[in-house]
Amino acid sequence: MALLTMTACRLRRWTTPGPRLAWLCGLVLLGFTSPAVAAVPAPSAEYQLKAVFLFNFAQFVEWPAQAYRDAKAPLVIGVLGEDPFGPYLDQLVRGEKVGDRPLVVRRFQRADDIKECHILFISRSEAASLGQIIGRLQGRSLLTVSDLDTFTRQGGIVRFVTENGKIRLRINVEAAKGCDLTISSKILRPATIVTADKD
Amino acid sequence: MALIRDTPIRQKLMTMILVTSGVVLLLTCAAFIGYELLTYRRSAVQQLATLGEIIAAESTGAVAFDNPNDATEILAALKAERHIVAACLYDRQNRIFSRYPANAPDGVFPSAPQPDGYRFAAGHLVGFTPVVQVKGSERFGTLYLNSNMSVMYARLRLYGGIAVMAILVSSLVAYALSRLLQRQISSPILALAETAKAVSDRHDYSVRAQKHGGDELGMLTGAFNHMLAQIQEQNEVLEQRVRERTAELAAANDELEAFCSSAAHDLRTPLRTITGFAEVLLDPRANTSPEEAQRLARMIRDGSGQMTDLINDLLAFSRLGRQAMARQVVDPGQLCRDVLKDLENEKGERRIALRLQPLPPADGDPALLRVVFVNLLSNAFKYTRPREIAVIEIGATTEPDSSIPVYFVRDNGVGFDMRDASKLFGVFQRLHHAHEFEGTGVGLATVRRIIERHGGRIWAEASPDIGATFFFTLSSSSTA
Repeated sequence: MALLTMTACRLRRWTTPGPRLAWLCGLVLLGFTSPAVAAVPAPSAEYQLKAVFLFNFAQFVEWPAQAYRDAKAPLVIGVLGEDPFGPYLDQLVRGEKVGDRPLVVRRFQRADDIKECHILFISRSEAASLGQIIGRLQGRSLLTVSDLDTFTRQGGIVRFVTENGKIRLRINVEAAKGCDLTISSKILRPATIVTADKD
Repeated sequence: MALIRDTPIRQKLMTMILVTSGVVLLLTCAAFIGYELLTYRRSAVQQLATLGEIIAAESTGAVAFDNPNDATEILAALKAERHIVAACLYDRQNRIFSRYPANAPDGVFPSAPQPDGYRFAAGHLVGFTPVVQVKGSERFGTLYLNSNMSVMYARLRLYGGIAVMAILVSSLVAYALSRLLQRQISSPILALAETAKAVSDRHDYSVRAQKHGGDELGMLTGAFNHMLAQIQEQNEVLEQRVRERTAELAAANDELEAFCSSAAHDLRTPLRTITGFAEVLLDPRANTSPEEAQRLARMIRDGSGQMTDLINDLLAFSRLGRQAMARQVVDPGQLCRDVLKDLENEKGERRIALRLQPLPPADGDPALLRVVFVNLLSNAFKYTRPREIAVIEIGATTEPDSSIPVYFVRDNGVGFDMRDASKLFGVFQRLHHAHEFEGTGVGLATVRRIIERHGGRIWAEASPDIGATFFFTLSSSSTA
């Protein structure tokens, strides 16, 4: 809870990206390049919020029963490529449940590694091979999320966009239907519905 | 309390009816308004809770994905619920996330959400509803709703107004009705009171109260009228009795006067004889011979003897009124035989046929009854003296319409004219001259007095020179 409050303060303050974001990114990069730094720095406020959104998707999307191994199987949030969230996402989902299912975070380096997964965040690092990745994942009940600009046009389901300093959702409903996912209308209301052709 | 006791019955009845109906109405209205208040509050909470659930569910997406504009849009739908004066959504961090009305200042909302649930506060109903997508999962925020209850209070005021109007109108109706209905009870009572007052004021017992019906008041009126009738009747009886007594007293007075004058007169007759002869005896010029003197002295002795008889009879007669009577069963036949034995001396050489029939037993004082028979029989002896053979019969019959015995003494003496029958039993009333038949004129009066003291009756039937019959009873059919 202390963490949440702390995060909230940051979220509130986070209104305009720009030099500060760049500075933060630099900090993150620094962390990656020098493992000697003991404390893992927190992700940017933007990514903290995106992490929260990822976590919230679990409550607004229904997966078909065959997407789970069994009734108690965890709901898996995957991160493909370079992880922008760091341990923040892990801390966020720790101990949380959706219904009876615990939430688990897994990180993947290649699309082929992905076995059991329900929400997949595709990092900016995968921009080059995006089309290939989406092709690989075709037909699986997987809610794909990314902040890459061409994501929904290439067949991804949820894209984060930043408008006036706010994170907004663009959702390709057709793609979601193709994956046999049911997205709650409540999520569609604050989001913008797009298609692969028109975004 | 005394004030209530002294108010007229009309007012009392009306007050009772009005107070009762007023209290009933008041309680009914209070119960109705109380019930209305309770149900209204409950349904208000329920409605607001439902509304809260809907809005909270609707706004989960907007709160979860940080879209205040969208949330504000959702809250704007509350416009349709006019009683909602303020609403807001708090985010996960308990900060105001979106508000209704959209431009409301922060001061309108609580700075942080309070525990979930609905409560009344200062004319408002406020509630906090969690914003959750999946039950038991993570909570996105809190919805705050503030409903102005002035609509409810306006409705209650309206009810109060209606209740006051209803109480006023029904009080008026109750007043009018009670004015009409109380007459059922009060008017017979008032009529009765009026009658009673008239009776006591004017002492007029001929007044009657008007009877209104067969209820208790009707019974009361009936009983009252009956009482009046009885009083009136008794008054009449009493007046009649007073009249009778007065007449009796007057008669007794007359009798007494007559008695006095005749007593004086009768006493004077022998006294005059005595005085006259005594003067002749004492006159020195009369030169009376010894034989003549002897005759005069005898005359004087006879005169004084006569006076002694008269005085004895009068004393006996007056004693009758004072003497106590001892009634018992008497055999009148035996009584007659005793009396006849005593009268044997008077009989002398006369030829008298005595017929004594069996007599039924009598109920009376033996000494007084003896006096009756002595008088009647000695009269019969006396007035049959001119007859060569006197016939004296003693017997009894019964009254025609009762079993009361009637005793009689019959003789074939000189009799009397029936026109004089009324004088027969008066004191000193004599139908014959003293030189024809001696007597004091007290005997039959004494007999009558004895018979009357026994409650009986005496009368006589006679015709001159044929004879007389004296009948008597010892009780009257009316007192038997």
